[in-house]
Amino acid sequence: MSEFFVVTAKMWKEYSSLFISGLGMTLFMGLLTVAISTVSGSIMALMRRSEFGIGSFKPFRLVATVYVEIIRGTPILLQLYFFYFMLPQWLPFLELSEFTCVLVACCVNSTAYVCEIVRAGIQAVDKGQTEAARSLGLNATQTLLKVVLPQAVKNILPALCNEFIAVIKETSLASTFFIGELMTQFKTINGFTYRVLEPLTIVGLIYFVLTFGLSKLITLLERKLNAGEC
Amino acid sequence: MLVSAKKEIIRVENLYKSFGKLQVLKGVTEQINQGEVVSIIGPSGGGKSTFLRCLNLLEEPTKGHIYFEGTDITDKKVNINLHRQKMGMVFQHFNVFPNMTVGENISMAPVLLGKKTKAQAQEMVGELLNRVGLYEKMKEYPNKLSGGQKQRLAIVRALAMEPEVMLFDEPTSALDPEMVGEVLQVIKELVHTGMTTVIVTHEMGFAKEVSDRVFFMDGGVIAEKGTPEEVFENPQNPRTKEFLGKVLY
Repeated sequence: MSEFFVVTAKMWKEYSSLFISGLGMTLFMGLLTVAISTVSGSIMALMRRSEFGIGSFKPFRLVATVYVEIIRGTPILLQLYFFYFMLPQWLPFLELSEFTCVLVACCVNSTAYVCEIVRAGIQAVDKGQTEAARSLGLNATQTLLKVVLPQAVKNILPALCNEFIAVIKETSLASTFFIGELMTQFKTINGFTYRVLEPLTIVGLIYFVLTFGLSKLITLLERKLNAGEC
Repeated sequence: MLVSAKKEIIRVENLYKSFGKLQVLKGVTEQINQGEVVSIIGPSGGGKSTFLRCLNLLEEPTKGHIYFEGTDITDKKVNINLHRQKMGMVFQHFNVFPNMTVGENISMAPVLLGKKTKAQAQEMVGELLNRVGLYEKMKEYPNKLSGGQKQRLAIVRALAMEPEVMLFDEPTSALDPEMVGEVLQVIKELVHTGMTTVIVTHEMGFAKEVSDRVFFMDGGVIAEKGTPEEVFENPQNPRTKEFLGKVLY
């Protein structure tokens, strides 16, 4: 048992630069994915709520619903493979890097989940708020921007942070393509040393500290939001 | 004064409203004149609230027409938002905006819709809050208010748009009993300024006191209407008699 600690400590010393660059990559991918998905997911959520159309045919709503159902109904690993191999094939002139292809896959995936987060956050705002705003003469857009969204943010923010945690863990799947995030570094070190348990433990600890710390932050944030107005 | 001598402000023609298979309004034709105070009473599910909510198109009628100041607002080409500005509405559950201060609740719509400059709105906020005894609460958030205070705020929020008509949808039904009086007092004062008012209520004493006319709605139609004396003291319709017998012990 003591051998385990000795080897783990040695490994941390020897390969710390790899672990740290892996952590950096994981965080970078996670942040970029959530940042992009927050924008695209919000747009998607508005599309899902769109009333535009003729009768029961609402094109924006249809597109968004199909998108969300397909993405949520297929494994993220499949989506990674799809974009990793198909994007360079379909858009060769863009000369996309491996990293970009993987990032696109992560964003496409996360957009569907963020869409549902935003939609649920908006839906959770009492209908009476909309009615009150409309009865004052505000149009639908003004009602959304001035009354509904500011209240929905309170529901959306904590859920968005949870999505960030989920994305951080999902980026480990990108190691399939050696993108350089934490799990890739495990594979690299495993290749050098033929050790599994020790590098896996270190990587696992880094993931855990990251996600646990974030979820504690969310609890704080939620308390702050609830203590404020309302 | 003869009703016909007054200027009509709302006219409802053959109004129908269904929710899926459920028919809630079954042909309501009525007119409301400027300065008139109308109370709508009746049993739950009789269509009172739906009728009121159709007047500013919060509920879209299935069939029929609603004329507000001569314009058919059920016409799809009409910009309903402009007409809603002239019809204030107060809800059972207050629906004050929790993300804005008391003052912002009042000034938001008039400023956003270009009726008032920020400075004008600020002045008006002070006047309106004074009127309902909430001046000290101007910078508070609504979560610091009691139910009665929230409803008083909701009333002046609607008044800030300087409406021609005020619609009240059971304004005291969600209040603790000791807070009903303060809200009714505000409505009473408003009625005395000559504001055209339509109020759905279960407060029979109040309806009797302030109304020019009372509608008894049951089964999706106005089953009986008349002056408070006619409806409360000498009801003709057996359903009105039955209803009043239950609520006026």
